Amino acid sequence: MDVFLQSLISGILLGGVYALIGTGLTLIFGVMRVINFAHGDIQMVGMYLTYLLFVHAGIDPFVSVLITFPLMFLFGGLIQKVFINRVLDALPQNQILLTIGLGLIMSNTAMLIFTSDYKILTTSYSSGSVKLGGISISQPMTISFLITVAVTAALWWFLKKTDTGQAIRATAQDRDAAQLMGINVKRMSIIAFGLGSSLVATAGALIAPTYYIYPQVGAAFTLKAFVITVLGGMGSIVGAALGGIIIGISESMGAAYIGAGWKDVVVFALFLLVLLLKPSGLMGKSNA
Amino acid sequence: MTFSPSTRTGLSAGAALLLLAALAIVPRFVQSPYALHVLILIFLSTIMGQAWNILGGYTGQYSVGHAAYFGVGAYVTVSLMLHRQIAPWVGMWAGAAAVVVVALVIGSICFRLRGPYFVLASIAVTEIMRLVATNLKDLTNGAEGILATEIPPLKFGATVITDFGSKVPFYYIGLGLAVLTILVTWAVTHSKLGYCFQAIREDQDAAHSLGINPTLYKNIALAISAVLTSFAGAFYAIYVGFVDPPTVLGLDLSVQIVLICIIGGIGTIQGPMVGACILVPLSEILRSNAVPELLMKWGWMNGESGIGLFLKENLAHAHVLIYGILVVLVILYMPEGLVGFLRRVTRGRRAA
Repeated sequence: MDVFLQSLISGILLGGVYALIGTGLTLIFGVMRVINFAHGDIQMVGMYLTYLLFVHAGIDPFVSVLITFPLMFLFGGLIQKVFINRVLDALPQNQILLTIGLGLIMSNTAMLIFTSDYKILTTSYSSGSVKLGGISISQPMTISFLITVAVTAALWWFLKKTDTGQAIRATAQDRDAAQLMGINVKRMSIIAFGLGSSLVATAGALIAPTYYIYPQVGAAFTLKAFVITVLGGMGSIVGAALGGIIIGISESMGAAYIGAGWKDVVVFALFLLVLLLKPSGLMGKSNA
Repeated sequence: MTFSPSTRTGLSAGAALLLLAALAIVPRFVQSPYALHVLILIFLSTIMGQAWNILGGYTGQYSVGHAAYFGVGAYVTVSLMLHRQIAPWVGMWAGAAAVVVVALVIGSICFRLRGPYFVLASIAVTEIMRLVATNLKDLTNGAEGILATEIPPLKFGATVITDFGSKVPFYYIGLGLAVLTILVTWAVTHSKLGYCFQAIREDQDAAHSLGINPTLYKNIALAISAVLTSFAGAFYAIYVGFVDPPTVLGLDLSVQIVLICIIGGIGTIQGPMVGACILVPLSEILRSNAVPELLMKWGWMNGESGIGLFLKENLAHAHVLIYGILVVLVILYMPEGLVGFLRRVTRGRRAA
C-alpha cells in the first residue's frame, strides 16, 4: 500500500510539470494546427537559461521562472514570426519537418555552446524531502507542483477573462471566422506560440533542480508532450492538464511495479491505445 | 534543346550507366580509406533515403519511424552471425523476413491513422522497439550493444573472394545495394503498383472509390520500403561492426532518413541520391574539423584566440547542426526539394 501511495503521489507531482508541457503544446496546436516538434528543445533552452541564471547570477531556479517566462515568450514569438508563420498553409508534413529542423538547430547550438556534458543544478533543497507517514515527498517537486498549479490557474484566467485570451480562443475555434470578426489572427498566433514556449520553458525551469541538463534532453520531452496532448485531446487545455497527471501517474506506477526501464514503454503503449481507440482524446470533440 | 520523353529516358539511362561505370572503377584509383568511407556512407544514405521514398515519397505516408526496420535488420544479421555463425549475406534475408513481420504489425497499427497522427504513431512504435531492445538484455545485450568485428570471409566454392580486410569489399557491397534499391524503386514506380501508390498519395478517398484498397497498397509499400531499409541496417551493422539501441533504433536515425529525402526531393528517383551527396560530405566536413582548420589556414581566424579554440573543440560535435539548417532552408524556400527546385528553374528557362 505504501508503494502504491508513494508512486501515486510522486506521479501526481511529476504530472504537474507534464501538464505544463502539454498545455504549451496544445495551445500552439489549437491556434495554429501546427504540431511543434521543437517543443522539448524549447524546454531545453529554458533549462539552460535557468542553469545560467543560477550559476552566474545565483538566482534560485524557482524564482528565475519570473525571468525565464517573459524571455521565452519573446523567443517563441520570434520563432513564430520568422519561421512558423510562413508554413501555416503548407502541408502538415512540411510543418512537422520545419519544427524538427528548428529543434535540431536548437539542440546542436546548445551542444556547440555547452558541449554534451551533463550539467547538474544543485540547490540546497535538491534532494530534500518531507516524511509523511511512510511516504516521502520530495521538496523541490512539491514546490514545482504548486507553481504549476498557480501558472495553470493564471493561464485559465487569462484565456477566459481577458480580451486577448478570448481572442486566442476564438482563433483556435475558427481561424477564418475570428479574422472576419476583426481579430488579428497573426498577432494571436505569435502570442500563442510565445505563451506555449513560456509554459514549456517554465516546466524546464521547474525540473532543472531534479534533472540532468544536456543538449538532447528535449527529444524525450517532445515525445512525452505528444502523448500528453493526444491523450487529453489535441487543442484542449483541460485535457492536457489531465493528460499530464495521468502520464505522470502511469510513469511512476510503471516504474514501481514493472521496472524503471519499462516505464516509458507503458507510456507509449497507452499512447498507441488512445490513438487507436479514441484518437480525439479524453476531452476532445468526437469529430476532431 | 528539347528531347522527346523516350529520348530523355534513354539519355538518363545512359548517364546512369556511365556514372555506375565510373563508380565501379573508383577503388582502383582512390586509395584513401577515408575517401572510400565517405563514399560508402553516401551509398548507405542513398539506400535509406530511397527505401523511405517508396513509402513516404510515392505513397505519401510520412513515417518517422524507419529506424525500426533498420534496427531489426541490423540486430538480426549481427545476432545470427555471432550466435549461429550464419554469414551476414544469408542473415540479412532472415532480417528481411523478420522485418516484413514487424512492418505488417506496425502497419496494422499506424495505417488506421492519417496525417500528423500517423507520424506520431510511427514514432511511438519505434520508440517502444528501442526501449524493448534496451531492456531485453539477453537478446540484444541491452544498452551496451553488440560488437561484431569478425566477419567470415566471403567464399565462392573453395575460392575466397574477399576477407573484408579493407574498405573495398564494403564499397562494392554498398554500391550494389544502392543500385538494387534504385532499380527496385524505378521498377515499382513504373508499374501498376506504383500508380496505385501515387493515387493514394494524391487523394486516398478518391483512390478508394476507384477500387484501390488503400490499406493493402499502403502495406505493400511499407513492406518493400522496410525490407530495403533492413538491408541498409544489415550493411551498416557489418560495416561499422557495432550496434546499440540509440544508433540503430533511435529517433535521430528516423529523422535523418526522412531528411535525406526531403532535402534532395521526395517522390523522385534522384532526390535521395542528391540528398545523400549533399548531407554526408557536409556532415563529414564538420565532423572532421576541416572548417576551423581552413579558417586558420586562410588567416581568417586565429587558432589561439578564444573563438578559434572554441570552434576547434566543439564544431565536430555539432555536425547534425547542418541537417537542421538545411531542412529549415529547404522547407521555407524550396519545399519540393533540390531536385524539384532545379527542375522548376530549368523548366522556367525552357519556357522563356
